[in-house]
Amino acid sequence: MRKTSMLLLEILLLVLAVIFLSPIYMMVVNSFKNRAELYENALALPTSFSFQFYKEAMQKMNFFTAIGNSLYVTIVSVLIVIVLASMTAWMLVRTDNKLSKIIFMTLVATMLIPFQTLMMPLMQVMDWIRTNLHLPMLNTHEGLIYMNVGFASGMAVFLYHGFIKSIPIDLEEAATIDGCSKFGVFWRIVFPMLTNITITVAILNVISLWNDYLLPSLTLADKGLRTIPLSTFYFFGEFTIVWNQAMAGLTLTIIPVVIFYMLAQKYIIKGIASGAVK
Amino acid sequence: MRKGKKGKHVLSLLTVMALIATLIGCGSSESSSSSSSTDSAGQEKLKKITIFQSKVEITEKLENVVKKYTEETGNEAEVWGAAGDNYGTQLQMKLTSNQGPSIFSIGTGTEAEKFKSYFYDMSNEEYVKNIAPNMALEINGKIVGVPYGVEGYGLVYSKEMVDPSEVKDLDSFSKTLEKFKAEGINGLALSQEGYFLIGHIINTPFALQPDYQDYIEKLNNGEVKMSETKEFQEFAKFMDAIKSYVKNPLEIKYDTQMGDFATGKTAMVHQGNWSYSMLKDYGDFGSKIGLMPFPLAGNDKLTVGVASNWVINGTADADEIKAANAFLDWLFNSETGKSTIVNDFQFIPAMTNIEAGDLDPLSEAVYEATKSGKTLPTANNYFPAGIIMNDLAPAAQEYFLSKDMTGEQFLQKLDEVWAKASK
Amino acid sequence: MKKRKDKLWFVLFTFPLLFIFTTVVIMPFIFGIAYSFVKWDGIPANPKVFVGLDNFIQLFKDERFLSSAWHTVKFTVMAVISVNVLGLAFSLFVTTKLRVRNVARTLFFMPNLIGGLILGYIWQFIFTDVFGYLGQSTGLDGIFFNWLLDPQYALYAIVIVFTWQVAGYTMIIYIAGLQGIPDELVEAAKVDGANVWHRLTKITLPLLMPAFTICLFLTLSGAFKIYDVNLSMTRGGPNNATEMFAMNIYNEIFAYGNYGLGQAKAVIFFLVVAAFTLTQVVMTKKREVQY
Repeated sequence: MRKTSMLLLEILLLVLAVIFLSPIYMMVVNSFKNRAELYENALALPTSFSFQFYKEAMQKMNFFTAIGNSLYVTIVSVLIVIVLASMTAWMLVRTDNKLSKIIFMTLVATMLIPFQTLMMPLMQVMDWIRTNLHLPMLNTHEGLIYMNVGFASGMAVFLYHGFIKSIPIDLEEAATIDGCSKFGVFWRIVFPMLTNITITVAILNVISLWNDYLLPSLTLADKGLRTIPLSTFYFFGEFTIVWNQAMAGLTLTIIPVVIFYMLAQKYIIKGIASGAVK
Repeated sequence: MRKGKKGKHVLSLLTVMALIATLIGCGSSESSSSSSSTDSAGQEKLKKITIFQSKVEITEKLENVVKKYTEETGNEAEVWGAAGDNYGTQLQMKLTSNQGPSIFSIGTGTEAEKFKSYFYDMSNEEYVKNIAPNMALEINGKIVGVPYGVEGYGLVYSKEMVDPSEVKDLDSFSKTLEKFKAEGINGLALSQEGYFLIGHIINTPFALQPDYQDYIEKLNNGEVKMSETKEFQEFAKFMDAIKSYVKNPLEIKYDTQMGDFATGKTAMVHQGNWSYSMLKDYGDFGSKIGLMPFPLAGNDKLTVGVASNWVINGTADADEIKAANAFLDWLFNSETGKSTIVNDFQFIPAMTNIEAGDLDPLSEAVYEATKSGKTLPTANNYFPAGIIMNDLAPAAQEYFLSKDMTGEQFLQKLDEVWAKASK
Repeated sequence: MKKRKDKLWFVLFTFPLLFIFTTVVIMPFIFGIAYSFVKWDGIPANPKVFVGLDNFIQLFKDERFLSSAWHTVKFTVMAVISVNVLGLAFSLFVTTKLRVRNVARTLFFMPNLIGGLILGYIWQFIFTDVFGYLGQSTGLDGIFFNWLLDPQYALYAIVIVFTWQVAGYTMIIYIAGLQGIPDELVEAAKVDGANVWHRLTKITLPLLMPAFTICLFLTLSGAFKIYDVNLSMTRGGPNNATEMFAMNIYNEIFAYGNYGLGQAKAVIFFLVVAAFTLTQVVMTKKREVQY
């Protein structure tokens, strides 16, 4: 009795997951069809699985340069976000005063601002920094990374903040008595305990930065600098979309993140295991 | 002990991060600061320019022609890109933050008016001398833009299904649609995108006004009303005919519109010569299709306008402007450049020194109309900014969705949203 | 002495992030507020005229803005509920001992891996063409019709797509939260004879409060700011019935060229939303169980 209901549950879950993925099915099958086939039936399997549109898409997108750019921007941004946000969040949690509350609330509140309303003054500030401080904030990967860190910091601090609160403070106090500096306490004691949330922060940021279009489109102009999402603009005309190449480009775009997600997921499971041992 | 080591690792990682963030990352200098220099051949090498333009469809070809330009002249240019509906915003951002570009594209009318403080006065440049009459982009009597080429629209029809002599006025138009409906064929397809739903088709009653710019001005000031203007009243009747005899355009996307037309499910579409690029994916339509005027008030002219204009960023420094002028001069006067415009971009040329290339049937019709002068202007370029997508299209949606809204009420609605938007 | 040292550490730990954050978010935001008192079309060379509170007065007369704010509120309420219910359900499913849990976890998260407008286009196709086809072939045209042409259903459609995209995201955070719950607690409850429902409501959910705070806030802020899905699915149609706040403001700034008015709208909306959500954060934070 119990077994059958478990089996039913398993099947139900699987069916749910498959329905969930139907739009992705459409993305993949239509990356193999020409315009006439797509018009005929967008749901059907393609008549041939030729990778012609993938080849065309990769050529247009300058795929390998773009993937290198995306990797660089995403990885460096995420590392900096993790380091800075975890430190900040820890300090904010452990310093119980008005100032840290205000800082935390400000960080959180700014997450409510739609990016569309910030982008114009943001460009003006960056231009000001560029012309007056001679730092190349615009049309460089490093400038984009800088802005990515700024925009991601609110959410990252917010995530860390919530989880640091649930860590017992005794260990830290013990370490402090042992003569550890704050720096030592944080990196030796606290940060290792944050592994799960760090991976979560990493996953969420990798995905959103990898897919980000709007901010890079404002800051990166030169062809050699374009990230993967930026390179897909070739397929989006004002009214016409070259569907097959666009879908192929999108499929190519998400493959690296899917792989990343599957890898990172393993670490979460490991995290559970080690938590159980302890 | 292990923990201590880990701590050091993290510490050094942190230092590296901080370095990347503050020093290395921001230390690299900009490469574009080099001004004109002389290359080994002794020929003066111009400053590298940047080009930003709105027609995504030609981006790749533009990149190729830029390569040829570098091969022929040694000068360099970088082509930027933006997804189709994002161009205006991005251009504004790039100009606001003084990032360039050196050359960019801009639509005639309201759009050009908005960005006019950035235009370089081209009046004395060599390449503007060949612009066909009335095709140059002018602001305050100065030539500031060179047209991409010409494009036009009207009713694209299948010659096998439609006889143009049966679509001459409201009466015959309605009868034709009625006939198709009885046969189970969609007589005329509009589609849900703002421009294809209302933006283009409403151009005709505007263009038929004696002075359309003056009319739009009066409309903005509330001195006239569409619902009290003869051509618009007739337009309302046309829309009523469309509403009662054809498939709801809100159910149709541009893709399905052209697909239905290509496969014979639709007899006519209100479209322009650009739509041929979509049709050709369905096979060879050679001489099977044609383009005829939208017969509002007996109109027998196609709507023809400039696709877009090349302008030079007047806020750039003198070296950059010089290099930008050199590129446009090369594009419009060298053999390579001219052939690219007609053969690769497949534009209908708007220059007297460039011969049209091999034209598809729709472009051919537009080209013929241009030569014979049987054309209507694109008045919708002068509409208040953003009004087509944000005000007229929603009004049209309401019209096509509500069962009992009449064309007359539609006109009143249009008057109402126009008054709000032009405030 | 120690206090001073603590302050120094505080600055050392928080300064780098806060500096970047200030230049990237706070300064532009403050400039944005300043522009809300100005009439300007957004082109640097064109005149900026100080108009005081004119923009603010004007926006309260802008019916379309007010109704877009209302759509946003309706959308947000529906989306927050559906995203969190589904995300929590997913997370409970995939942390059970079911054999398909690993596959399911990946699949549920998949939609989140895809960014950009194109998914909106795919869903648009589903609601327009696939639903039309289903309606015809099954006869259930009361359910399967073109949702995007109905003012009410078009909004539901956006809720569905948003939920589809974001539920997996909250699932991840709920999973992280579930992992933080000591197994001993659950085991002890099992030994004490608590059934599944009791274990869930008495142990799991209360201990999930931190994750809940986070998810609620993230979905709230995501829903309030929605733009991409809105643009690619309906463009605000039919007849502005689904035009939401971010789109209204974007159009005000970039389509109509009323930069100051657009910023004024942003300021007002920010104040309202911030008051609302920060209260939520403070309230749920208080309920979090302290160890």
